[in-house]
Amino acid sequence: MITVAGLSARAGSFRLADITFEVPDGEYGIVIGPAGAGKTTLLEAIGGIVPVTGGAVTLGGRNVTALPPDARGVGLVYQHGYLFPHLSVEANIAYGASDAAIGRELSRRLGASDLWGRDVRSLSGGERQLVALARALARRPAVLLLDEPFSALDPRRRASVRRELRAMHREAGFTVLQVTHDFAEAGLLGDVAILLDGGRMLQAGSPEDVFRKPASPYVAEFLGAENVFGGEVRVVDAGPADRTGEAGVADRTFEFRTTPGGFTMIAVGDAVPGPAHAVIRAEEVVVSVAETASSARNVYQGRIVEMSASGALVRVTIDVAGTPLVAALTTRSARDLGLVAGMTVHASFKAMAVHLC
Amino acid sequence: MADRAGYRIASVVTALGASLLLLFLTLPVAQLVAAAGLPGLAQLGHDAELRDALVLTAVTASAATLLGMIGGTPLAYLLARRAFPGRAVVAAVLDLPIVIPHPVAGIALLLALGRQSAVGSGLLALGLRLTGSVTGIVCAMLFVAAPLYLSAAREAFARVDPRYEAVARTLGDPAWRAFRRVTLPLAFRGLVAAAVVMWARAISEFGAIVILTYNPKVASVLSYDRFTSYGLPAALPVAAVLVIFALIPLIALRALRYDRSAAGL
Repeated sequence: MITVAGLSARAGSFRLADITFEVPDGEYGIVIGPAGAGKTTLLEAIGGIVPVTGGAVTLGGRNVTALPPDARGVGLVYQHGYLFPHLSVEANIAYGASDAAIGRELSRRLGASDLWGRDVRSLSGGERQLVALARALARRPAVLLLDEPFSALDPRRRASVRRELRAMHREAGFTVLQVTHDFAEAGLLGDVAILLDGGRMLQAGSPEDVFRKPASPYVAEFLGAENVFGGEVRVVDAGPADRTGEAGVADRTFEFRTTPGGFTMIAVGDAVPGPAHAVIRAEEVVVSVAETASSARNVYQGRIVEMSASGALVRVTIDVAGTPLVAALTTRSARDLGLVAGMTVHASFKAMAVHLC
Repeated sequence: MADRAGYRIASVVTALGASLLLLFLTLPVAQLVAAAGLPGLAQLGHDAELRDALVLTAVTASAATLLGMIGGTPLAYLLARRAFPGRAVVAAVLDLPIVIPHPVAGIALLLALGRQSAVGSGLLALGLRLTGSVTGIVCAMLFVAAPLYLSAAREAFARVDPRYEAVARTLGDPAWRAFRRVTLPLAFRGLVAAAVVMWARAISEFGAIVILTYNPKVASVLSYDRFTSYGLPAALPVAAVLVIFALIPLIALRALRYDRSAAGL
């Protein structure tokens, strides 16, 4: 288990301040954040590489804050691998391993066996990352700290290495904390997501919660939510919670009005009346040509002002009462519906899809 | 068109300036070697004093370099890696012997290590004389040349990314072992180059040595002695041999640098 409590650290002029989160034993933690957020510094503080100026790091129930890196039982893989250039690939992998056979087996599983005879300086970026990963794993660490370890791998290799690492993680039961810029990777791998920016922690929780219920409009936008609206929240139905004091927050219904002007939407869940932001992920917005009966409580008529294709998806921007609402559809759906710019359509989304923050 | 003409004029002026400087730097040395190189080398066969001076120069320069490496390597590492209060001041003080005139360095050493000083008299009581001795030559060479080693060694360590050490530490190495297994091998060529630079500086030293120890004579002092006692013709072969001798570390340094760039480091 990785427990970080009120952690502050310094790396040159950069400061990491008051970071608190927990990655339970054997789980996979993901650290996300923009460049310069302090992601690498966080890993280095946990690994004992940069000095901790406050708070505590506990690994597997043992307070390691004052321990040197070699006594912490962590493995660290940097984005650029940092393979020792004066050693062979084999010597690199065997560097910290108690048994050379472990390194061979790990290399085989990660698809790096054919690199054994190669000169370290001749390896590509992706190959370096594979060797660095095998080297860290060969020591059998209790905690594995990974700083964008797959960033230089081609997409096919990345998927297979990611799968293999996940399998090894399940088998060996080590705890992982991985930095990534790839939200898909975060969703695929992570049990816990930690969002950093400017050396501070913005949010921590399950990836589902962090992506669906961002703590602030900034988090929502950083995580790629395209519909983030400022406005005012009003309680429509206080639900049995307020009437009896027992029911859950999911029973409360709110009305959110975007400002200035714009449109009104219904949301359920937890919120405080007053100024707030509403976040609706583009994937939650359904587009139809005619108004159809559905369980969605938020249905609007609008005009398509822009369509942009990205891979298999099309992002459709619909002008709803002067406010742009973005919907993500598959290219096939957009084609079947005959969507074109200027067309009048209906956009709908469920009250549950609205996250108020 | 005007731009192109201006560029041509600038190129010609630059080439002329560079050629003149190159000529100024190489002509005296080339003329010296051409005039007295072969006679000087021939003189090595029958001039025992010259042979002894060269051997003494090589031995004392090597001893000073060894001492500089032993004491300077940890200090260079600390200066490259650790931030501590007053680091800039320490670095500046260590560079001081490079910028002060070398006779002044000799006077300072005489003041600190001479018979009248506390250190000098204390060591003399233990049987170690620092003036007029081989030890004095080593001290003078160490004083003027060690800062060059420190500076180059510090650069060599600074070029090794600390993250290599960080990785080694997480792979189970305590600090000393990570230094020995990773940092030292990666900085090794730079350290050897630093030692060669120090050795080259030590063999060419004259000002500080002549004040601290005139006898026994190192090659530079012998060259000066022959010049003042017997005139230019007697000094020429010695001077020429010293130039040829000084070429050895320079060639070694170039070979190291070539090897380094060929290795992609």
